Amino acid sequence: MNRLGLGLGVAFGFLISAADFNDADFIHRMLLLQNWYPYEVYAAAMATAMVLLWLLTRIHWVTSLGGPLHLVRVAVRRRQIYGGLLFGAGWAFSSTCPVPAIGMTTSGSVLGLFVMAELFLGIELGEIRARGREPRTAPAAGVA
Amino acid sequence: MHLLPNPLPWFVVGPLIGLVVVVLYAVANRPLGTSVAYHQVVLLLRSRATEVWRAWYWIGLVGGCLLAVFLQQGGIHLRLGYSFVSGWLPAPVAVVIMLASGIAMGYGARWAGGCTTGHGLCGSSARSWGGIVATGTFFLTAIVITNVFHVVTGGRM
Repeated sequence: MNRLGLGLGVAFGFLISAADFNDADFIHRMLLLQNWYPYEVYAAAMATAMVLLWLLTRIHWVTSLGGPLHLVRVAVRRRQIYGGLLFGAGWAFSSTCPVPAIGMTTSGSVLGLFVMAELFLGIELGEIRARGREPRTAPAAGVA
Repeated sequence: MHLLPNPLPWFVVGPLIGLVVVVLYAVANRPLGTSVAYHQVVLLLRSRATEVWRAWYWIGLVGGCLLAVFLQQGGIHLRLGYSFVSGWLPAPVAVVIMLASGIAMGYGARWAGGCTTGHGLCGSSARSWGGIVATGTFFLTAIVITNVFHVVTGGRM
């Protein structure tokens, strides 16, 4: 499982950086709707995964490490909106998200390194908040 | 030496990224997620990792990004980055903006239960309504705020 994780990480990281998602100015132009290439990449990725996952569920695919395939689906909750608003605000100013932040840092962007470091801090603060709420709420789906 | 076109065509990169999501589901029955991988790296450093493979996935991301940088750009080019911010704001102000943005994104991802990978790529592909709503909120918020600040700053940001 560790080798699978490592391999998929290498593949995903390579593809994200090779598609220029490691350039903040590139993502900034995307958010200004001046650069449609990232949306094309995103749409092609989603379409490919959606079709193949649908096919795998249709043939009742059994995975080699985890038994019968079960796609994780979560219901709509208010926290997705609240968390989404905060995430989107951070995305707007930093022009990056968790994988591209690694790409920016490894390409040599000093400001990208600051964003990546604070992602660690923000996620850990979120974990502390979530743990503090656990006794009073039903078990929440883990962060993905 | 530049061994790869920069960037790779979208119709090559996009389907291959989709395959990463599919392979993890097809082999291990697990959803792809990156913010949780950040958390597992922290847990691994404290010898408390519950899903060590996610920390290895994060390490793999670093390796893959470095590989692309060397193949496309010939190596790491140290710079401040973010010309749309650092080009007109003093460096300390740009640093503060990035620090605050990183915390907001990390906290928001944990609050929302995922980021642009877990909800955006994986959740939406699995037709998870929660993932689709979160992804829509990510994109809409980022696009609106970016464009508002672009206007407010006279096109400098």
